[in-house]
Amino acid sequence: MTKIWTVAELALREVLRRRGVLLILLVFPLAFYASRRGDHAGQSIRFVCLGLSWALSTAALFAGSAARDIEPRLRLSGYRAHHLHLGRLLALWTVGAVLSVPYFLLVRFDQTDVRYGAIALIMALTVATAVPFGLALSAILPKELEGTLVLLIVVGLQMVMDPADTASRVLPFWFSREIGTYAIDHTDSGYLVRGLVHGVTLTLALTALVATASGIRLRQRRHLRFE
Amino acid sequence: MNSDGWLHALTGELHRRGVDADLSRHVVAEAATHLRDSGEPPLQVFGLPANYAAAVAESVGTPRPGAGVARVAAPAGPPPAPGPVRLDVRGITKRYRRRTVLSDVDLTVRAGEIAAVVGANGAGKSTFLRICAGLLSPDSGQVRVYGKLGYCPQSGGTNDYLYPEEHFALVGAGRGLDRAEARAAGRSHAAALDWDPAGRTQARHLSGGTRQKLNLVMAALGEPDVLLLDEPYQGFDRGTYLDFWQQLWRWRADGRAIVVVTHLLNQLDRVDTVLDLTPARETSA
Repeated sequence: MTKIWTVAELALREVLRRRGVLLILLVFPLAFYASRRGDHAGQSIRFVCLGLSWALSTAALFAGSAARDIEPRLRLSGYRAHHLHLGRLLALWTVGAVLSVPYFLLVRFDQTDVRYGAIALIMALTVATAVPFGLALSAILPKELEGTLVLLIVVGLQMVMDPADTASRVLPFWFSREIGTYAIDHTDSGYLVRGLVHGVTLTLALTALVATASGIRLRQRRHLRFE
Repeated sequence: MNSDGWLHALTGELHRRGVDADLSRHVVAEAATHLRDSGEPPLQVFGLPANYAAAVAESVGTPRPGAGVARVAAPAGPPPAPGPVRLDVRGITKRYRRRTVLSDVDLTVRAGEIAAVVGANGAGKSTFLRICAGLLSPDSGQVRVYGKLGYCPQSGGTNDYLYPEEHFALVGAGRGLDRAEARAAGRSHAAALDWDPAGRTQARHLSGGTRQKLNLVMAALGEPDVLLLDEPYQGFDRGTYLDFWQQLWRWRADGRAIVVVTHLLNQLDRVDTVLDLTPARETSA
């Protein structure tokens, strides 16, 4: 555990020193919220959750890309692949949890007639999903620009696709719209259950993808033997 | 000063110091390759052309008219007898598409030995070291490491936003050292390179040479049995370059097996094995 905590602590310090990124992370979802607050309060809640997911995915994408340089030598220094990706996940989940609190409070005190528990659940699932989603993109697409463009497409589709459309369920943040409908429009608990299952499944699948990609990239090659 | 201007000035300085024309071209070509690959400003990486040329001239032992020459002092007395095999490389072949970069390369390094890997640009020196470190797979061949491995890349390998001592803590935890032990070990290795790593300077704000010192110290943490060093002296000033070789000899005396990629050929008479990748053959020093 010491190794995972060390990676997590230093990854957290790294993120905290990227002040410009932190500021954008903090303000970005607010812009989403403000954009629809005047005409449609419910949409503003859905949009702030999407903004949060986009901001966190992007932060994770860049953190994952930045780590590619140092991770091979850390692997040679006694770390296993799971120490590295779990430490980074923990650090980014912590950042996400801290960033989502003010947005939950904003909704809590700025909106009425909303199921606040469900909003908290959306935000928790958003943090849980967005981080491994960004890290998975950084693992699959080593160039940051490519990863950023994919993120742009995914979040754009998330905004324009009809959540009732079956195809939209393959999008990583579909749960946000589904649970949002439950929270804002007071629909039946079927929306909540479907959203919860989707969010948990996606989180597990994306975390497994990050672990697999990290394990492959940092594997001990067959030609090298330690005696 | 841009890269072209800096390289031109370096060429002139090397000529003024009487460095052999072939070696001068080689040094300038290596520097140009590094500047192109890293994209870093030449003054930050190598310092002033005059100073870098002076370091090269001194290291190759070329007398400058009217000036005393201080070669790197070799360790006194005969080297200790080499110990058991620490690194055994057999039949490494690597191709990039149709181009064969390494062809059936062998290398054996024992405890208490330094092996130098030399070769022209593109000869596969860094590829060879990355294969030895297990960062790259060969098309065929095997590498056996007897003990712990430390690796210092040519560039990169650090985290831009962490302080030097945080790097020590990070690598130290992997090696099983606690924070205090990692810091003490890092400071000790840094002192040997005339560098004080204390302070809150993020790696991205360190000069090119200092970042390479950090890289080297990270590779040495945890006292690995085998050290793979890929031109670790890029950007070192003259004094640090001399300190670097002294440190290498200390490590050799401590029983480490060291493989160092180098293009400054004057040091080859002070290493135990030379692997020349240009014709892909091994010769003994």
